[in-house]
Amino acid sequence: MIHMAETKVNESEKPRIGVFVCSCGSNIGGFVDVPSVADYAKTLPDVVYATQNMYTCAEDGLSNIREAIRKHNLNRVIVASCTPRTHAPLFQATCESAGLNKYLFTFVNIREHCSWVHMKEKDLATKKSKDLIRMGVARARLLKPQEEAKVEVEPVGLVIGGGVSGMTAAASLADMGFPVHLVEREGDLGGFVKILNNLYVTEKSAAETIKPLIEKVTAHKNITLHLNSSVKSVEGFIGNYEVGIAPKGGEEKKYKVGTIVVATGALEFVPEGLYGYNQYPNVVTLTEFEILCRKKTLPKLKSVAFIQCVGSRGQKMSYCSRICCNVAIKNAINIADNYEDMLGVMEKQGTLVDKIPVEKKATEEILERRRRRRGRGTEGEGDAEEVKLGPSEKIEVTVFNRDVMAYGVEHELTYNKAREKRVKFNRYTLDHLPKVFMEDNQLKVTYFHETLKLERTMPVDMVVLSTPLVAQPDAGDLSKMLKVPLGQEGFFLEAHVKLRPVDFATDGIYVAGTCKGPADITEAVTQGAAAASRAATPMAKGYVQAEALSSVVDETKCTGCGTCIEVCPYGALRKNEKGIAEVIVAACKGCGCCGATCPEGAITMTNYTDAQLLAEAKAALQEEV
Amino acid sequence: MAEASQAQWEPKIIGFLCNWCSYAGADLCGVSRYQYPTNVRAVRVMCSTRISPHLVLDILKAGADGVLLGGCHIGDCHYISGNYYTEKRVRLMKRLLEESGVEPERLRLEWVSASEGEKFSKIVTDFTEQVRKLGPSKVKKDEKLRSRVAAADDASETFRLKALVGRELNLVNKGNVYNNKLDPAELDRIIDSATEEEFERSLILELSMSKPRSVKELGEIMEVPTDKVLRHIVALRQKNMIAMEHPEGFTPTYKTIVIGGEQ
Amino acid sequence: MEKAVMVIGGGVAGIQASLDLADKGLIVHLVEKTPSIGGRMAQLDKTFPTNDCSICILAPKMADCFSHPNTNVITYSEVIGVEGSVGNFKVKVLKKARYVDESKCTGCGECLEKCPSKVVNDWEMGLTTRKAIYIPFMQAVPRVMTIDKEHCLKLTKDKCGNCMKACKRGAINYEMKDQVLEVEVAAIIVATGFDVWDPTPSTEYGYGRYPNVFTAMEYERMINAAGPTHGHIQRRSDKERPRKMAFIQCVGSRNPQVGHPYCCAVCCMHATKESMLAREHYDDIESTIFYKDMRACSKGFYEYVERAKRDYGVRYINSDATVQENADKHNPIVVYDVGGRQQSEEFDLVVLATTLVPKKETAELAKLLGLKVDEFGFLESSDRILGPGRTVKPGIYLAGYAAGPADIPESVAQGSSAAAKAVEAIAQAGG
Ligand SMILES: Cc1cc2nc3c(=O)[nH]c(=O)nc-3n(C[C@H](O)[C@H](O)[C@H](O)COP(=O)(O)OP(=O)(O)OC[C@H]3O[C@@H](n4cnc5c(N)ncnc54)[C@H](O)[C@@H]3O)c2cc1C
Ligand SMILES: Cc1cc2nc3c(=O)[nH]c(=O)nc-3n(C[C@H](O)[C@H](O)[C@H](O)COP(=O)(O)OP(=O)(O)OC[C@H]3O[C@@H](n4cnc5c(N)ncnc54)[C@H](O)[C@@H]3O)c2cc1C
Ligand code: SF4
Ligand code: SF4
Ligand code: SF4
Ligand code: SF4
Ligand code: SF4
Ligand code: FES
Repeated sequence: MIHMAETKVNESEKPRIGVFVCSCGSNIGGFVDVPSVADYAKTLPDVVYATQNMYTCAEDGLSNIREAIRKHNLNRVIVASCTPRTHAPLFQATCESAGLNKYLFTFVNIREHCSWVHMKEKDLATKKSKDLIRMGVARARLLKPQEEAKVEVEPVGLVIGGGVSGMTAAASLADMGFPVHLVEREGDLGGFVKILNNLYVTEKSAAETIKPLIEKVTAHKNITLHLNSSVKSVEGFIGNYEVGIAPKGGEEKKYKVGTIVVATGALEFVPEGLYGYNQYPNVVTLTEFEILCRKKTLPKLKSVAFIQCVGSRGQKMSYCSRICCNVAIKNAINIADNYEDMLGVMEKQGTLVDKIPVEKKATEEILERRRRRRGRGTEGEGDAEEVKLGPSEKIEVTVFNRDVMAYGVEHELTYNKAREKRVKFNRYTLDHLPKVFMEDNQLKVTYFHETLKLERTMPVDMVVLSTPLVAQPDAGDLSKMLKVPLGQEGFFLEAHVKLRPVDFATDGIYVAGTCKGPADITEAVTQGAAAASRAATPMAKGYVQAEALSSVVDETKCTGCGTCIEVCPYGALRKNEKGIAEVIVAACKGCGCCGATCPEGAITMTNYTDAQLLAEAKAALQEEV
Repeated sequence: MAEASQAQWEPKIIGFLCNWCSYAGADLCGVSRYQYPTNVRAVRVMCSTRISPHLVLDILKAGADGVLLGGCHIGDCHYISGNYYTEKRVRLMKRLLEESGVEPERLRLEWVSASEGEKFSKIVTDFTEQVRKLGPSKVKKDEKLRSRVAAADDASETFRLKALVGRELNLVNKGNVYNNKLDPAELDRIIDSATEEEFERSLILELSMSKPRSVKELGEIMEVPTDKVLRHIVALRQKNMIAMEHPEGFTPTYKTIVIGGEQ
Repeated sequence: MEKAVMVIGGGVAGIQASLDLADKGLIVHLVEKTPSIGGRMAQLDKTFPTNDCSICILAPKMADCFSHPNTNVITYSEVIGVEGSVGNFKVKVLKKARYVDESKCTGCGECLEKCPSKVVNDWEMGLTTRKAIYIPFMQAVPRVMTIDKEHCLKLTKDKCGNCMKACKRGAINYEMKDQVLEVEVAAIIVATGFDVWDPTPSTEYGYGRYPNVFTAMEYERMINAAGPTHGHIQRRSDKERPRKMAFIQCVGSRNPQVGHPYCCAVCCMHATKESMLAREHYDDIESTIFYKDMRACSKGFYEYVERAKRDYGVRYINSDATVQENADKHNPIVVYDVGGRQQSEEFDLVVLATTLVPKKETAELAKLLGLKVDEFGFLESSDRILGPGRTVKPGIYLAGYAAGPADIPESVAQGSSAAAKAVEAIAQAGG
């Protein structure tokens, strides 16, 4: 499919330039004296052929170019017409079809940059067209044929993180037929979801819901699972990574992979010192609340308050965590609908749960420990005795919020449903934060009533704090190892917020799930599959081809100062064993930053050398000859 | 007579436009038929970050009346961070132009997005007028000015200035990695004083290329105090870039050491 | 045998899906209903939260998608029949006659100038006119003309024929007939996007009655430099530029009584963007946004809103709002309530964030394909949690706004995700 141009020019051969000036109907012809421009082109150095066409891009124009290349033995072609941004590929392909390397083609724009912007000055526009062609000729004389580098891609994927997004990415790659290494640092797959109660839009338990995915990943013949393991080292570039994976306390082993998906997830923010957390009993985070529900260990409650945006939206973290409103709504509905189902062992005694210990991450342990402290260490969930309360509607649920992020169809309808179930949504502003305190052995919440403009206090039995997802504390290590950036608040930063949501700027590495920023499961697995698609592309092709637009280091001039390595946005430069800068052609995008920066002037750009640019620019300063 | 040639004279302006935004903006300007004067000749580069001070200074040395640089808006660069460097480099270019005596207004950097066709026409119109007011470049006629521009060009290529400007962003932004974030204003100050020094040293080399010159002579031509000239000469001698020649009587003269065939 | 996939809908989601597939060496047939690919994103001015110029970042993708050696972009076409199942679907595509030979037209536009028939320009949201022979927008892909047969004098009354005379390429063909193509594909991706709901029935906003009430989509075209007013914000009544603008959110959405109960998920953000852009155009414009909940909840969105408040002076008022008019100057008056007290304020111009609804035809398409739609017409996934984008029909996948409210990055991710699923299916089927 990709065809390499045969190289017709040997470098010492004298340039033989052909110039094709286009009238583009009357688009150029109407405002520029095209015949005189074509005549003028003939007088320029090394131009052996010049002509005009009505439409150079039409098939007759193109065949004119092909014929002229053969008949006049042209080794440089210049088309003076519209803009290279849309038409260069067409003319380059035409040159190639006539055996001329596409890098020997030069585009001169006399339409967008001339005839269309100087419609009332035919003489001046004609003069400018001549100047522009003279510039093009000056450039063309210095062009060299280029080969496009091809780099083989190892068709093996690596996925870091075994949560829903990582599992989805791995399963997708595996289903497409690529072997995948899936690295999870914990002993089980499932990530954050495995400790949750139920998931929204389903009554099924979270663990049940993701079980099929875990089973698929575990059983898949193309997936090599590395549980209790982590990535220790990464060397190389797209198509050719060597990664070291080591089990906990074990030996590091090296694997060769072509592409990498990062899906390391996020943690829940611990609201230390906020709203009586870790100070009063029964003040818990959302995750802790879900664990209580799942374990069926909820105490008897008459009134529950959710406080939203605890530590988010400018309080500790600057961002909105996207999921916590909907998770709170889910739990509010659970209380209204399934409360009796979640009541647990403690209710027999009618006591309240005492405070939940603070952990970096809420785990099973929290509950284990609490139970042990209560002297019922060995009791299982099954022992929970049915304790019937009155009708669940009698439980009052209030959600103190700043804005309710029930975006889209599903969430908004669920939000409406919650209100129908008489869950109260109370808005607060930053000027009047709710307060949680203990009075007469009763937990209370004070809030500001916006309509009445006064403070009110209500007794509650439990306060659930909706805290945001926060970046993994060790994301920075991975970021350094992979040379991919972290953005705001420690989440991974994608290549382009709009159009490349699961790519990193560095080719060959992709990102999915909450390690990129808060997202729910549906969004995380969409990103997982998307990342798999992106990662599969170079592997399916088997190679990556770099446009010959890259930097070139002159080894004799480079002193290894490393400035270029610092400025390259794509990590496309590294030091070789001699301590000299080396370009990874497959990774270089040809921006030229390193070239303009190199203090030793050791870097030039293929096809955009200083000499070519200066010749082109200086030709403009000459007078018409 | 002079007036007549003045009337005939048309500014010659070179534009360097990045492929992804400013060139595309110029394209859209054409598509939308916004008119502008015919003075700009555009050279397409992939990114504005490609434009080293050398390219600009060399073009001005060759007699261009103005240089227009176009890039994507900050944050929009197709190569993520390219135009941040452009901004830093343009600052250096302007400082060097000031040193050399060429009006820094002959150089202009503009951010034009691919949808700002009309803006492109306005910029070209405005800049052409600005250059017209400045009059023809004096570089070609004024030999002294030409050597000063050449010195500015050389200075821009020195290790110190390139490394400083290249590292500037990292020093300011990623300072935390090294745990000593640099204050941008402080860094600008450091760069400015380095610019002045490197310019004067390059000028000494430039002036002492064709014939040996004494410190006093250099001081007079350069309009720099002799003690400062002497300090530069000491530094240049240490780097083996200038040699003392036949001390005639008590006044030594200095000549630039030319390596190889270059310059 | 070469494996092929069909993508229906050439918006950003469909383009992304096509590119992901084509880059993997699969053949893609992209069927787009309108004369150009690009979808809604091509109409937007800038995009939140980066304020990137929309068409600038999209146009290269459109060009890539069109000229990719593995894509076959069939514009001005619709799917009219589907048979078979995963691995071998046979799809019938109706390619409508555009009366211009795509292989000959160079998009030079000479024909346009000679065409006497003026038509309301839908693409510009009716803010201006186009000719009967037209290219929907400057950056359209493919860049070829189409004759609107309803309004062409030659095709309706056998009169004019100017464009044929004007066209030096001989591209015009009044005899052209609709064609039915039969395409065999292994999988199908549906990405038919959304439509903008016309808020005229919600009379409390005065749209259609008060000249200076606009929809957000109209406003997007108006602030676009390549749009009908060249980027100048103008009142309909007197072409003056406004100094005080109001944005009203959830117009027809989040309203189970009139309109639609769901949230469109993008309008809080686009209103924020639009108010910021107003300030970028004229630094004395003051904007107020009336909202129910400020749903700024993706990466960088909350910060974006904070920036709008801080750096662009945008005022946010948490209230429902309705519109009346001061008939003297045609100034809209916004009526709202804060803390239970009704208030009103006069503005120069009002922009309504109207509901975004799935395309009407999508429901018919769903029937053809055997897919399920929800009560609002959004295409339904079979597994909402772990399999978004999969449908009840194996081998058919969803992406973009057609499957539920999604902004551009989500649509792009869904496009890639659907591509992955199609490749999985093909590989599993023995590829
Ligand atoms: C209280 C709460 C309730 C929620 N309820 C819902 C709900 O009802 N519905 C819903 O859709 N979403 C819900 N969510 C969101 C859901 O949890 C996330 O969307 C989901 O977990 C994201 O999956 P992930 O794979 O991206 O990350 P995670 O689930 O966090 O998985 C990341 C995995 O990577 C591993 N890992 C991390 N670092 C490394 C490393 N360096 N090397 C190897 N492995 C590593 C971790 O151990 C973990 O297994 C809820 C979230 C919270 C906090
Ligand atoms: C006023 C406004 C401003 C916005 N601003 C932003 C913003 O700043 N940032 C952001 O991220 N998002 C923004 N959005 C949202 C954004 O427009 C959508 O997320 C995006 O366009 C969805 O892309 P899509 O490909 O799914 O659908 P669309 O863009 O609607 O594309 C669908 C395509 O399918 C075609 N089609 C439809 N039916 C058929 C059929 N039956 N057969 C064949 N083809 C068919 C259509 O013609 C169209 O080309 C904005 C939306 C609005 C209304
Ligand atoms: S609670 Fe709601 S508004 Fe607050 S951070 Fe979470 S999702 Fe955002
Ligand atoms: S040209 Fe740009 S991408 Fe290539 S090595 Fe240099 S800085 Fe990096
Ligand atoms: S139909 Fe003919 S005149 Fe019209 S744009 Fe196409 S080539 Fe030009
Ligand atoms: S024939 Fe039709 S499309 Fe052509 S110019 Fe006449 S009215 Fe317009
Ligand atoms: S995104 Fe905002 S304006 Fe749009 S429907 Fe949802 S809440 Fe209303
Ligand atoms: S690409 Fe335009 S400035 Fe970098």
